Amino acid sequence: MPELSTAHHPLYQLRRTPFHARTSQLCLPHNWRRWGGCLAVGSYDLGLDREYWAIRNHAALIDISPLIKYEISGRDAARLLHRLTPRDIHRMQVGQVYYTGWCDDDGKLLDDGTVTRIGEQSFRLTAAEPQYRWLAMNAVGMQVQVTELTEQMAALSLQGPKSRTILNLACEQPVDALKYFRMAFNRIAGKAVSVSRTGYTGDLGYEIWMDAADALVIWDALMTAGHDYGITPTGILAMDMARVEAGLFMLDVDYTSASHAWIPGQRSSPYEMGLGWTVNLDKQGYFVGRRALEREHREGSSWQLAGLEIDWEGLERQYAAVGMPPQVPGSAVRGSIPVYAGPRQVGYASTSTWSPVLKKYIALVHLQQPYFTPGTKVEIEVTVEHHRRKSPATVVTLPFYDPEWKKK
Amino acid sequence: MTNPDILIVGAGHNGLVAAAYLAKAGKKVLVLEQRATAGGQLAGATLASGATVPGLHPAGQLRPAIVKELDLARHGLTTSAADAPYVSALPDGGLLRLVSSANDTATIEAIRRLSPRDAGRWPEFVGFMNRAAAFLDAAYSTNMPRLPRIELRADGLPLASLALQLRRMGGKDMFRVMRSLSMSAVELTEEWFESETLNAAIAGVAIHGVTLGSMSAGTGFTLIHNWLNRGGLAHRTSTGGPQGLTEALVKAVLANGGEIRTGAGVAQILVEHQRVLGVRLESGEEIKASTVVSEADPRRTLLGLVGAPELPPEFVWQTQSIRMRGSVAKLIVRTDGRHGLPDGTVAIAPTLRYLERAYDSTKYGEMSQDPYLEVTTLGADVMVHFQFATYALRNADWGSMRPELEKRALDTLALHFPAFKGSIQSVQSITPVDLEQIVGPDRRRPQSRPADPRPDFLHAAVAGLVESPHPDRRPVSLRFGPAWRWRHQWHPGSQRGAPVAEGLAFCGLGGATRCEAKRHAAAARWPPPRPTTDSSRAPPASG
Repeated sequence: MPELSTAHHPLYQLRRTPFHARTSQLCLPHNWRRWGGCLAVGSYDLGLDREYWAIRNHAALIDISPLIKYEISGRDAARLLHRLTPRDIHRMQVGQVYYTGWCDDDGKLLDDGTVTRIGEQSFRLTAAEPQYRWLAMNAVGMQVQVTELTEQMAALSLQGPKSRTILNLACEQPVDALKYFRMAFNRIAGKAVSVSRTGYTGDLGYEIWMDAADALVIWDALMTAGHDYGITPTGILAMDMARVEAGLFMLDVDYTSASHAWIPGQRSSPYEMGLGWTVNLDKQGYFVGRRALEREHREGSSWQLAGLEIDWEGLERQYAAVGMPPQVPGSAVRGSIPVYAGPRQVGYASTSTWSPVLKKYIALVHLQQPYFTPGTKVEIEVTVEHHRRKSPATVVTLPFYDPEWKKK
Repeated sequence: MTNPDILIVGAGHNGLVAAAYLAKAGKKVLVLEQRATAGGQLAGATLASGATVPGLHPAGQLRPAIVKELDLARHGLTTSAADAPYVSALPDGGLLRLVSSANDTATIEAIRRLSPRDAGRWPEFVGFMNRAAAFLDAAYSTNMPRLPRIELRADGLPLASLALQLRRMGGKDMFRVMRSLSMSAVELTEEWFESETLNAAIAGVAIHGVTLGSMSAGTGFTLIHNWLNRGGLAHRTSTGGPQGLTEALVKAVLANGGEIRTGAGVAQILVEHQRVLGVRLESGEEIKASTVVSEADPRRTLLGLVGAPELPPEFVWQTQSIRMRGSVAKLIVRTDGRHGLPDGTVAIAPTLRYLERAYDSTKYGEMSQDPYLEVTTLGADVMVHFQFATYALRNADWGSMRPELEKRALDTLALHFPAFKGSIQSVQSITPVDLEQIVGPDRRRPQSRPADPRPDFLHAAVAGLVESPHPDRRPVSLRFGPAWRWRHQWHPGSQRGAPVAEGLAFCGLGGATRCEAKRHAAAARWPPPRPTTDSSRAPPASG
């Protein structure tokens, strides 16, 4: 007799992305991850080396369809985003892309994503978490339409030094003129796409947005075009290493949304997350969190996101004490690790990773004032053979890795 | 007036009281009124149909402290000191005449005919109600704290003094008052009296002006609130009626150097960087001022006049959540004088069940078949308060229901007063939709709002905006919402938390006119702050 179980209810099943027919054939180790209610490939191999080096040396093709996407259109579309985010949306040109966080009225981050000006009165907003209610709450009294496109729109990220070459082969129009954080319409295999020069790896890279129905045709076209340039389907675990090198943080890993924080101390402001450059206090009109951000700007932040490079000789000494060579994790570690100045804990690392391209053990760290000043010597906890030890490390400016071709 | 310090939006009684206090404190005050005359609802109105109606309140009275401090007697205002009778029309054609005094022998004798036990308890009841009303009055004058952060000095001390006042009532009264506030009118009255006739007469006052029935929780509070406003069960009158009150207030504003501009509807309150800059009139003219005091209800002020895009999202959400469901209609009947109605406040509230049934209709989007009425007379004019006339009618609209409204009201009255129908010369009815026009809908952007703006007599009445002639009320039911914040927008440059818009204040539904105006005057350091002598407006307790 069939049993009624919630586990089989569609609500409890992870959705498949529009690329599932391809990615599932390639994901041989079945290393799946959950992302926004979808099945997302963690890695296509047992190890991450091949995919990681595709990002840094040639071209990685990453399915980023689970991103939450909204289309915001209407007379007050710009006004809504201008109010929602700390950036000056009214100054944005059509085809421009802004990266931004957005806050509650206490100036604490709720989420972060990109805003793309598709047209004069039309925008695309990406987010890590659903934002419909927050958008609706902010749209009161405005003439604006918010449509969620998450499932209708598929997206691929093509990242790596060869991504431009491959796109030029695949696209109807060349993408050479497309500048960093700009978007242009194009066609791949006869299908309409929009291509933005954005990414989550800190390398040269593009994101390709398309109708979900065209997903497989476009995947195939890109794979064909990229064959001679080493295009490599890549999972989100290799991307996770690359994004730490690029100094990019992640919701729920490196900060907690103010809407989910249990206690006030769990919240973070854009200034604390190094997004001060996105906060435009000179812009016209009210925006959510304005008062609080003005105050924080005036008084200074007590925390700051920074980079940390773990001193190799120091790490060697810790392991040498037990007769071992230094050990480093094979993928990005999403776990809080204490950071000390002398006996006192002054912060924590939220993501740490071995950086193959830099040959360094690095971490995204949250440090209290004044320890976030670059050059500060601190110590980070390392667990050597089940014993917790402290290893010397240096605070550095983000990003760790910034190749010249990223913006060129 | 050039460069006013303070703009007051609306010249109703609330706006005028605020204006008079602020002008008296040396501020340059300009009152902006959309209509051609000051007075708001007290002044009557011209409806969309072109018909004019006189003042909508049967009586108007201000709390004694206001009359004294604004020297309104000098401006021509006198309030009747006599205990007015409250008359309940009974099903058998008889009348139960009640004077809200502990030792009125005629009242006690009338109650004795219903129940000797109740007659014995009446003096104690009146005494208790007076003390409960005095406590409510003290609570209304107390600065409510800004949750969730309570500052010990600013919030704790006033609260402590209120608690002390409650404690001073004695253990028995303290307990009874706290209980009564949350009870229904049925529960409250049945604890005191066994006669349903008496209980229903009292319960009528408990549901007056609110969209609640005699069995709804919280009507114990509205009973005490209305008792406080009226000084008992019946309305009291002042010389010249509502018009006289308006005239006195206008004189007080002008005498203190304030200015009133009529025909100057405010289209927008201008805000930049969450700071009030002034207003834009419907004519397009802009007037700059550092402080704007709005008499309009918070929802209309904030979402309509300031505009949601200028306000924090959580705050907008809370403001949208203010319940607005009107259910009051009015009739103004001109007679030849032989209407046969007794003096005082006449209620059609025969049984507790009758009141609850009348209220039931609002749940189904209908108008009460047998309505609860409250009737007052001013010479040959008869003013009828009709409950419940649901604003949002199901399967009907107020355009077509007007004749039915008039029929039900007049038939119900004629049942008790046979001579009434023959005396009628003309009938002017004011449906909830008409009332909305008078109160002032948001005409600027009607489409931007998900639901229609309904004058809520639950809140509006409690606040003194629409129904109650008492200008010094603020809504208890609203205090737990955004009112916490509104209350602190008064001080320009207030550092307490982050006000939604500095320099914006309320003097109608969202604020307390006198209390706040005085605080503002004190903040202005001129005249120097002096202790408030807040004599209770309820008659002295005698039970």
